[in-house]
Amino acid sequence: MRASILMLVLSLSVPAQAFDFGNFDLEKAVKTVQKIKKANEDVSEPQEIELGSGIASNLLGAAPLLDNPEVQRYVNRVGRWIALQTERPDIPWQFGVLDDPDINAFAAPGGYVFITKGLLARMNSEAELAGVLAHEISHVLRKHHLLALKKGARSELLSEFANEAIQSKGGDPRLSKLVSAGTEIYARGLDKQDEFESDRMGVVLAARAGYDPYGLPAVLQTLQSINPSDSNLALMFKTHPSFDKRLELLADEMTPALDEYEKQPVLEQRFTAAMSGGK
Amino acid sequence: MRRCIPFIAALLFVGSACAAEEAITLRSTELKAKPYSDAQTLLTLPERSKVQVLQRRASWTQVKSGQTSGWVKMLSLQLVRGTTQRRADNGLRSLFNVAQTGRGGSTVTTGVRGLSEEDLKHAKPNPQALEDAQEYAATKAEAKRFAMAGKLKAQQVDYLPGGER
Repeated sequence: MRASILMLVLSLSVPAQAFDFGNFDLEKAVKTVQKIKKANEDVSEPQEIELGSGIASNLLGAAPLLDNPEVQRYVNRVGRWIALQTERPDIPWQFGVLDDPDINAFAAPGGYVFITKGLLARMNSEAELAGVLAHEISHVLRKHHLLALKKGARSELLSEFANEAIQSKGGDPRLSKLVSAGTEIYARGLDKQDEFESDRMGVVLAARAGYDPYGLPAVLQTLQSINPSDSNLALMFKTHPSFDKRLELLADEMTPALDEYEKQPVLEQRFTAAMSGGK
Repeated sequence: MRRCIPFIAALLFVGSACAAEEAITLRSTELKAKPYSDAQTLLTLPERSKVQVLQRRASWTQVKSGQTSGWVKMLSLQLVRGTTQRRADNGLRSLFNVAQTGRGGSTVTTGVRGLSEEDLKHAKPNPQALEDAQEYAATKAEAKRFAMAGKLKAQQVDYLPGGER
């Protein structure tokens, strides 16, 4: 006790620069505390959309859009109808099909949802498409990608962005770093609990939109039956929990809660017609 | 089986694949006469029974066990890999020019490599493509008309409580 009083007396009697005790930098410590505080603040909706559009633009840089306006419009109508049944009906939802044989789907903050033609080609009905889009829509609703950014190595950039320390105009290099970090999440995957949550929400959103809610599990069952060494499933396997586990959880969660909706339309023919260009 | 017919017509070679799709029951499962929970139970399939898959309707799958056909809950089945060519190839693959996977669980023969981890890590923005994509976006009114044309009726359904967290 006596020693600490002595320290206090000493410290009060020395000039300010002496606060730099060896490695301890008070100013730096205060900044760190501020950064931690900022990291807990949320990005605004316009910022979320802006960040999402950057990520979506990157995704389209990695895989082009499928050149099939009929299919693109069809997927947008299904997706937009489902989005209308959610707690965020008014954000600028936008859906797209990527011209890529890989089996995957992606959501970006602010309402961007993409599905590869490789996945689309393994579906059998509009209800199945609706189930997959509803899963992706749920990622946007719950802001799972922002959560992943917050937990990741670039969390500081996210908080600087939230605090408007990064301006979108003028090409701040920090913004493109943040967008790159957001794009890299697709290579790493989200928290698996976030995937389970999106499955659970997705089947409900499909039921709300008037579809047979078993479209999503039907797609998962189809994918489960594909040879797991198929290179087009490699990224999906790396970034998502196993199909077995997802189906097991859905089986428990959907029965009996969603049983009464199982006779809702599947729209097999409308799906097939749209895919073949109405021919 | 009815679903297979247009398929055979479209693809010609699918006939055998329709009959060959197999699944295993994940749990003890009632085989129903019709695809409804309150339909007559024909027999109870023990866990790990092998069945032939005939068709799926909503949450029900029509299967054949021995000489008996009936319906089981879709999620009580696990499809046997390599027997599901029809399901995994809906005919759209040739349309979209998506490569075929190896049959019968053999080595994969996909010729074209899809989106990879590296592609995502080094992705460069393509704002023009994003602008193009925007042109296809649907308005609320358009989405509602589309739903009505498909006889889709919006329902009030609560989110499901979380499973294991």
